[in-house]
Amino acid sequence: MSAISLGKLTKVYSTGVKALDGLDLDVRDGEFVVLVGPSGCGKTTALRMVAGLETITSGTVAFDGQVVNDVSPRHRDVAMVFQNYALYPHLTVAENIGFALTNKKIPKREREQRVRSAAAALGLSGLLNRRPAQLSGGQRQRVAMGRAIVREPSVFLMDEPLSNLDAKLRVQMRSEVLRVHKAIGAATLYVTHDQVEAMTMGDRVAVLHDGVLQQYATPRELYDRPANLFVAEFIGSPEMNLYEASVAGGELVLGSQRLALGPAEAVLAPYRGQKVIAGVRPEDLRLGGAGRADQAAGAALTADVRVVEMLGSEKHAFFAIDAAAAGASALAAAAGEAEADAGLLAEQAHNGMARLDPRSAVRPGQRVTFGVDPRRLHFFDPGTGLAIR
Amino acid sequence: MSAPPLSAPPPARPRAQTRRERRRRERLERQDAAIPVELYGLRRGTLTALTACCVLFAVFILAPVVWVIINSTKTQANIFESFGFWFAAPFEFFHTFANLFRDVDGDGTYSQWFLNTVLYSVSGGIGATVLAALGGYGFARFEFRGSKVFFAVIIAGLLVPITLIAVPLYLAYAKVHLINSIWGMILPSMVSPVGLYLMRTYVELSIPRELTDAARIDGASEPRIFFRIALPLMVPGVMTVLLLSVAGTWNNYILPLIIFSDNNLYPVTVGMGLWSQHASNSGDANLYPLIVMGGLVTIIPMIALFALLQRYWRGGLLLGSVAN
Amino acid sequence: MSETVLRSPAGVIAPPGAARGRRRRSVYARRRGRSGLAFVTPFMIIFTLFMIAPLGYAIYQSLYTTKLIGGTRFSGFANYAAVLRSGPFWGGVIRVIVFGGIQIPVMLAIAFFFAAIFDLGVARWGPVLRAIYFIPFAVPIVVSSLMWGFLLDPAYGPFNRLMNAIGFQNFNWLSANLMLPSIIIIAIWEWTGYNCIILYTALKSVPRDVVEAAILDDTPLWKIILRIKLPMVRPAIIMLVFINTIGAMQLFIEPTILNNYQAGVVSNTWTPVIDIYNTAISDGEYQLGAAMAVVLAVVIIAISVASLAFRNRRREFA
Repeated sequence: MSAISLGKLTKVYSTGVKALDGLDLDVRDGEFVVLVGPSGCGKTTALRMVAGLETITSGTVAFDGQVVNDVSPRHRDVAMVFQNYALYPHLTVAENIGFALTNKKIPKREREQRVRSAAAALGLSGLLNRRPAQLSGGQRQRVAMGRAIVREPSVFLMDEPLSNLDAKLRVQMRSEVLRVHKAIGAATLYVTHDQVEAMTMGDRVAVLHDGVLQQYATPRELYDRPANLFVAEFIGSPEMNLYEASVAGGELVLGSQRLALGPAEAVLAPYRGQKVIAGVRPEDLRLGGAGRADQAAGAALTADVRVVEMLGSEKHAFFAIDAAAAGASALAAAAGEAEADAGLLAEQAHNGMARLDPRSAVRPGQRVTFGVDPRRLHFFDPGTGLAIR
Repeated sequence: MSAPPLSAPPPARPRAQTRRERRRRERLERQDAAIPVELYGLRRGTLTALTACCVLFAVFILAPVVWVIINSTKTQANIFESFGFWFAAPFEFFHTFANLFRDVDGDGTYSQWFLNTVLYSVSGGIGATVLAALGGYGFARFEFRGSKVFFAVIIAGLLVPITLIAVPLYLAYAKVHLINSIWGMILPSMVSPVGLYLMRTYVELSIPRELTDAARIDGASEPRIFFRIALPLMVPGVMTVLLLSVAGTWNNYILPLIIFSDNNLYPVTVGMGLWSQHASNSGDANLYPLIVMGGLVTIIPMIALFALLQRYWRGGLLLGSVAN
Repeated sequence: MSETVLRSPAGVIAPPGAARGRRRRSVYARRRGRSGLAFVTPFMIIFTLFMIAPLGYAIYQSLYTTKLIGGTRFSGFANYAAVLRSGPFWGGVIRVIVFGGIQIPVMLAIAFFFAAIFDLGVARWGPVLRAIYFIPFAVPIVVSSLMWGFLLDPAYGPFNRLMNAIGFQNFNWLSANLMLPSIIIIAIWEWTGYNCIILYTALKSVPRDVVEAAILDDTPLWKIILRIKLPMVRPAIIMLVFINTIGAMQLFIEPTILNNYQAGVVSNTWTPVIDIYNTAISDGEYQLGAAMAVVLAVVIIAISVASLAFRNRRREFA
C-alpha cells in the first residue's frame, strides 16, 4: 500500500487558471519522491494540496489508502519544510523546533528531550537559544528541518528547501536531507525546479509541465528513456540535441547526412518514409571518427565546430549540422502556435553540442566526425512529441 | 509508464481587458492568495460570533453618523424631544440646509466657513504634499552636508505639540500683520514632518536606486530625473500624503481659533465650535439644527474624498512598508 | 585621511580605501549634494519659519515677564518655576496621562482584535466593515465631539435616556465623574478605525508561510493570533503607542466642546492644552503660557523617548 497516493488531482483557481491537471502519483512508504518541473508547472500546488493548505478542485489525496481530502491539515500528520523556512522570528531555535509539541500538549520533559535529539541530529545543539535572525541561511534551513522531524510525521513534504542556499551549501545539504530522510523513514515528497537535485536525490522523479505529469520513473529511466520531448529536453544538463529527421531505407536522414540505424531500425519500422525527431545526448557523441562498434553500425555524424568551451573536467564543442533543430519550442513553432522566427533558427551559429574529453584537440572552424552508437539515439513522434519505442 | 502528449502552451493573454475584468481578476487572485478559513480549525459558530462582534462595533461607529443624518431633518424641538434614532415630522431638512447659506445668529455663515475650509485644506494640503514630495525625495536620494542633522530635526518636529507652535505664532503674527490673514493659516498647514517622513520612506522602498542612477548615467538633469522618473512612481505615496495633510488641515481647530478674530475667515471647525458655545448660552436662536446639518455637510466631502482616493491609500507607509 | 586626497580633483582615482574613508567629496558629489539641498530647501524654509522659529520664540518669550507697571523684562526661569509649582497644571497633566493610559491600551486592544479578524478573514463582510471603521477618521474632532455631545446630552441625549430606561436614575454621562470616561469612549470611536487599518497592514505583511507552518503544527486560532502574529507586529504597535501618546497628551477639543453641553465640569485647567490656551490667549499671559507649552513638550518628548528606548531594547528580532 502506498503511503501517499494522488488520484486525478486537479486544481483550478477561481481566475480559471488550471494549475494542476489530473495528477496520478503514488509514494511508497520510506520512499523519496521528487516533483520537478519549470516554474509554474504546478508542482508546489500539488505539494500544498497534499499538505491540505490548498483546496482540492477535484481528485483525491490518500494516505495509507485513506482519503484525506476532508481532513484538516492540522490532523493529517504531515510536516513541511517551506522554501523560505517560515521560522517564527520571535522564538528561539528550541522554541521553533518544539512549537508543534507544545500544541500537542506533550509534557515538558519529553518535549525538551525530543527537541534536543532533533537538534543534535542536525548539528544545532549549540544554537538552541538563538533566534532565527542570528542564524546563517544553512542553519535556518536546518532549524526548518528540525521543526519537521521532531514531530515524527508519517508524511514529509519539502518545498524547494535548498533554493535559498548558495551553490556549495546546496550540494552539501542534499546529502544531509537524504540522511535525515533515511533516519525518519517517512514517505517524502520533495519539490524542486532543479533537475540536478531531482536526479541526485529522488528514488523516483515525477516531471511536471503545465500542470500535467510527463513521466514518473527512476532517475536512470528518465535519463535513458525519456517518455516525451519535454522530459528529454528538461532532464540532463547540457540538454539533449534534437533534430528533425526522416527514416529512409533503414537509415536516418539528418539534413544531408545518412546514419545507419542498426539495431534501432526495428523500432522505427512504422515510421519508414516519415518524419521523426531524433535526439542524442552531448556525451553520446564521440570525437575522432567512429568507434569500432559504431563503425560496424556505420553511424557517424559530420559537423562544423563553431565554439569550444573548456570547463577543465570536460570540453564543450558547439557545432552546426545542416538538419533543423527540434524540441518543444521548435515543435510549437511548427504547429503555428507561437511566432517563432524561422529565419533566426536557420541563421543560428550552432545547433548542437558535444561533451568531450578535455584533452581532445578540437578547434572552432574545424570539421569533425562524431561517432554515434545508434542504441543511444532517441526518437520522438513529431506530431505528439511522444517517444518512439 | 504512459506519458501524455505535450500539452498545448497556455493561451495568449487576451489583449484588451476592461477595467472591470481586471478588478474582478485581482479580487479573485487575492481570494486565492488568502489562507482558506477552514484551515484555522474553528469550532462551528466561531465565524458567526466574530462577525457579530464586528457588526456590533460597526453599529457603535455608525450610531453618531446615523443620528446626524436622521436629526438633520428635524426641528430644534424635535432634536431634543423626539427619539434620537427615528424621524419626526415636520421634515425640516431643506429649510435647515438653506439656513447654512445665511448668517443666522450673527456668528457667521456656514457656507462661507465651508469655502474657507476648502481653501485652507486644499491649498495647505497641496502645498504640504509638494514640499514633502520634494523634500522626501531629496533626503532619500541625496547625501549632503548636514542632511542627517536636518532630517533628525524634522523627525523631532513630530514630537512638538501644535499648541506649542500656535501660541508663539499668534504673537509673531501680531507683529507682522498676519492675524486675520489666510496666509497665516495656509503657510503653517504646509509644514508636515509626517508627510516628509512618509515620502522618504516611500521613495526608499518603491524606487530602486538603480533606476535613478541609470537616468543619471543617461545624462538626465536632477529635476528631470525627479519629474520624469521618480514622481510618476511616487503617485500612491503622494496621494497618501495628500489625503493625510488635507484631512489634517480640515480637522485643525486650535490654530484658526487662535489666529482668526474675523468670523468670515473661520473654517467650519471653529465656526461650529462657536455655534455650539452660543447655542448652549442662549437656546432661542435655533442653532442646534444648524449644528447637526453643518456636521453632516462637513463629513460628507471627506468620506467621499477617502472613498475616491482609497485605492491610492497606502496605510502601510506609516510602518515603513509599501503594502496597501 | 590626508589633505592631498581631500583636495584631489575629480576624475583622479583615489587611493584604495579613500572612497570608504571619511568624506572624500568629489566635485561631482558636491554638485549632487547641491541638488539634494535644492530639493529639501523649500520644505526647510517653511519648516524653519513655522516650526523652528515659533519654537525659538516661545522659549525666548518664556524667559520674560510682563507687568502692568514696569513693562516687559527678563525674568529667567521665574515662569518655569511658576509652572512647576502650579497644582492645576500638573493636575491636568496627570488627567491626560490617566486618559492616555486607559484609552490607548483599550483602543489598541480593540483595534488589534478587529485587525486580526480582518487579516485572517474569519468574519464575514470584512472589506465593508473595514471601510465603516475608518469613517471617523474623516470626521473632524470638533464635529465628532458635537455629535457625541448630542448623544450624551444629560437632559435629552438618547444614551442618557437609555441609561434611565434600564434603571439608572439621573444618569449623567457628562458629569464631573464620567466626563473623562465619556471622552475615552469618544476617543476610541475616533481613532480605533485608523489604528485598526495600520495594524491590519502590518498583519498582512506577516509571511503567509509562517501562518501555514503554524497550521501544520496544529496551532489553535487564538495562539496563531497572540503567539505568532502579535509578536511579529510588535514594532507597529510600539509606533502606534508613540503616535497616540503624542495625541492624547494634547487633549483639548473634546472637553472644550462637551463643556457646551454640561457647563462647569471642564475647568480652565482641565487639560494642559486648555490651561495653556486660557493662560496665553484668554488671560493674555502669553509668557507664562509659553513656559507651560515648553514644559508640556518636554513631558511629551520624555514619554515618547522612553517608549522608543523600550523598542530599541527589544530590537534584536525586529
